[in-house]
Amino acid sequence: MNRAIAFVLATALSTGAIAATDPRTVPTQLPPAWQAKARAVFKQAIEIPSVHHRGQVPKVAKLLADQFRAAGIPDADIHFMPYEGLPGDQTEALIVRWRSPHPTKKPILVLGHMDVVEAKRSDWKYDPFEFREEGGYFLGRGTSDMKNGDVATTMAAVKLMSEGFKPDRDIIFLYSGDEETEGKGATLGSTKWRNLTDAEFGLNADGGCASYDQNFKPLGCGISMAEKTFQTYFMTTHNPGGHSSRPRPDNAIYDLADALEKVRTYRFQPMQNDVTRAYFEERAKQEGNSQLGQEIRAWLANPNDGAAADAIEANPLEVGITRTRCVATMLSGGHADNALPQSATATVNCRIFPGVEPPVVQAELQKLVGPNVEVKPDPNYIGQPTPASPLRPDVVAAVTNAVHKVIGKDMDVYPEMSTGASDGSFFRAQGIPVYDIDGSWGISPLDERAHGLDERIPVRAFYDDVVYWTMIFKSLAS
Amino acid sequence: MRHLLAAVSVAVLAATSVSAAPPKLTQAEHDATHAMFEHVINTPTVIGRHNVPAMAQYVADQFKAAGFPAEDIHVMPYHTGSATQGEDDTAALIVRWRAAGTPKAKPILLLGHMDVVEAKPEDWSVDPFKMIEKDGYYYGRGTTDMKDGIVGITQAMIDLKRAGFKPTRDIVVLFTGDEETNGIGAKKGATDWLDLLGHPEFGLNADGGGGGFNEDGSPAGYTLQTAEKTYADYTFTVHNRGGHSSKPRKDNAIYSLAHALDKLESYRFQPMMNETTRAYFEGRAKTEKGPLGDAMRRWLANPNDGEAADIIEASESEVGLTRTRCVATRLFGGHANNALPQLATARINCRIFPGVDPNAVKAELERLVNDPEVIVTREDDNVASLASPLRPDVTAAYTRAVQALHPGMPIFPEMSTGASDARPFRVAGIPIYGANGGWAVVPIDNRAHGRDERLPVQSLYDNVVHWEMMLQDLAGK
Repeated sequence: MNRAIAFVLATALSTGAIAATDPRTVPTQLPPAWQAKARAVFKQAIEIPSVHHRGQVPKVAKLLADQFRAAGIPDADIHFMPYEGLPGDQTEALIVRWRSPHPTKKPILVLGHMDVVEAKRSDWKYDPFEFREEGGYFLGRGTSDMKNGDVATTMAAVKLMSEGFKPDRDIIFLYSGDEETEGKGATLGSTKWRNLTDAEFGLNADGGCASYDQNFKPLGCGISMAEKTFQTYFMTTHNPGGHSSRPRPDNAIYDLADALEKVRTYRFQPMQNDVTRAYFEERAKQEGNSQLGQEIRAWLANPNDGAAADAIEANPLEVGITRTRCVATMLSGGHADNALPQSATATVNCRIFPGVEPPVVQAELQKLVGPNVEVKPDPNYIGQPTPASPLRPDVVAAVTNAVHKVIGKDMDVYPEMSTGASDGSFFRAQGIPVYDIDGSWGISPLDERAHGLDERIPVRAFYDDVVYWTMIFKSLAS
Repeated sequence: MRHLLAAVSVAVLAATSVSAAPPKLTQAEHDATHAMFEHVINTPTVIGRHNVPAMAQYVADQFKAAGFPAEDIHVMPYHTGSATQGEDDTAALIVRWRAAGTPKAKPILLLGHMDVVEAKPEDWSVDPFKMIEKDGYYYGRGTTDMKDGIVGITQAMIDLKRAGFKPTRDIVVLFTGDEETNGIGAKKGATDWLDLLGHPEFGLNADGGGGGFNEDGSPAGYTLQTAEKTYADYTFTVHNRGGHSSKPRKDNAIYSLAHALDKLESYRFQPMMNETTRAYFEGRAKTEKGPLGDAMRRWLANPNDGEAADIIEASESEVGLTRTRCVATRLFGGHANNALPQLATARINCRIFPGVDPNAVKAELERLVNDPEVIVTREDDNVASLASPLRPDVTAAYTRAVQALHPGMPIFPEMSTGASDARPFRVAGIPIYGANGGWAVVPIDNRAHGRDERLPVQSLYDNVVHWEMMLQDLAGK
């Protein structure tokens, strides 16, 4: 799932409330007939519990494919791609090519995923796999992460086809089936299936870009166009152990604790790239003359001002944006209460600044903790460094235009770097720039429920997202 | 648990006695000992693996085959479990060898345990549950702690019965199935099963005593265990709100825990001395040369000389004998690679000097950590352990048996730093003496609970002879 940085900004920007209109009460721009069509598909999609290992993803793929087929996409351009996600999870990706009669540019790739995070009936107020409309919201697992984006992109294309719109470049839709678990669909999509997916750039519909605070003040729409590389390392200490009644001078747990003390205080070198610089320029404007605003301006003026970067990084709103970060997330050690530990292991999860190679971080960690601590990457997931996608004026202009027309003129658009990982990372790693631009929105933090309980999306945000995507396709493919 | 003695060279319990030549095992007895040892070592009696009942039945079968009446052999299934040590359906074995005619005294209890500590194949250089003989050693989990003692007692009784020995008082065996974890078998032995055990006068524990040789082959000494430190587990727990690992918080449960563990690493409790350890150190001080001997002499002369006690404690051979010791043994923390930890815990295992209240140790740990984020809790309700008085008959029998096999071997009273099944019996007023006859090379063979645990091959057979002599002495007159 793709987080929205705007949610994080909420606490900073929610001061100085102005009487504003509740965005949920503004009428949608999607005509009633298309509301009905989009709603019907959304309902069916939500009611398919496409959680890993349940074998339901192919049903979502068929549902979306049926819409394209009905709109006139030939079967030859609709590809069902079965694959295994987690061990034993038989899932599927859907690839659809909407051909241009006279392509003048390389294709655009639209990304989404059809799987959802587990949701338990006992935890939820309602059945998470029963579609509900209530109080201005659609409720159900996947309503915000991200069957809304699947349906909005599909129905936008269907609507444009029905209006006779002919793109001047192919638009390829890739909906994967295991983004929430292994991300193998995106891996395959960016490599093995490249003959079907090759594109000039990608647009990811995973996660709405925009949000409002609880006073309905717009918090902006962040276009994620870079992301840190996810890499987990295991730090392990070894010891001969022995009987705990006779403690040895050396001890695997104490050695590991010493290493963790070093990891706790260590800070990597501050770094900037085009995306984070643009992001901080926007943040400096928002912050004005606050302490943080001054620190941001100092760092922008002098990227070697490490003290300014450290102050920014220490702010809860900006954690992880100024550099690589590594943090201890799990611990295990010892084998019996009454025995000295023979080994102890800490899981250290790193989010590596774009462009930095994971082995470089590994070497830096190794140097930090010393030769007596083994530092190894998690063999189950070797992170692929992802270059920041270039700031494309056409994408930024298309998003800005669509956001202002569909959501409102007061919703600012700015680039950002995601500290998390999404399907886009696999394509960036393989040379296809990806921009996370979905046009849906919510009230922060009330609607911040992806992966959580009682997930929901404002009804208007869902309908308007269909309009938003039609504008994006028109802007970038004509 | 099993503790091997350090390098020492003076007898303090008894002068060297003139001993008869020890009995020798026949080839059949030797082979039977080997076969039984291999079988039990290859049975992984770790908690949770459900193998103890099978081992109890196997040992029971050996007694039956040797002619012990079935009605005096009891496999006692029981459940062991606790929140921290795991659960299992385990079993104890009780065997009562009744006196011929009217018993001259109340029974002698022979104690041991059949379970072993976990051993992970990836930590070992050999399979811990497949006994192999290499370089004069038997390798495998339980070779020293303490399946050698189980086999020593069992084979000695079988040999004595076949040889026509008639005890003058009942000899009662209790082999428990959870000494290394919850100790429920011993608690039942000291309460529910006391009638079945015939209310013994005293007990000999094969999970204690024993001796060692130095690496140059000189005798290091044997110990007769009369006191033991109190075993108590504590937990350090840190809670945190957690969150997504892409956005590290300033506070982190794992880091707070690591900081507390750093404090624990360097902390030392107040030095203490009691009658048993004073006698032990007096014996050691007579011949120990160099800085260690000087420190012992200084500390004996002035028990407030903390610096001298610290030097002794820092010696590999004397670890744990001068005070309470606590050490971190296990770590748990976090719930996902990509989430900030909401919980981190460390298990702290303490061996508390006899007479000190475990609750006082908890308070001391809290003062040491001095962090409201780190919660210190107890994991058991153990009470302070007691020492057993020295009995002349036990001391004499042990000395004769040890010195028959190892002429000139010095013997020391010992406070064990470990915990054993002896504790509930001592609490119930039944003195227990750790009196096994096994030996090893110190300190290189100190591997109980550790990796590549091993027993010198000859020690296994010597121990059978040791127990034959002990029983003939204490139950044959």
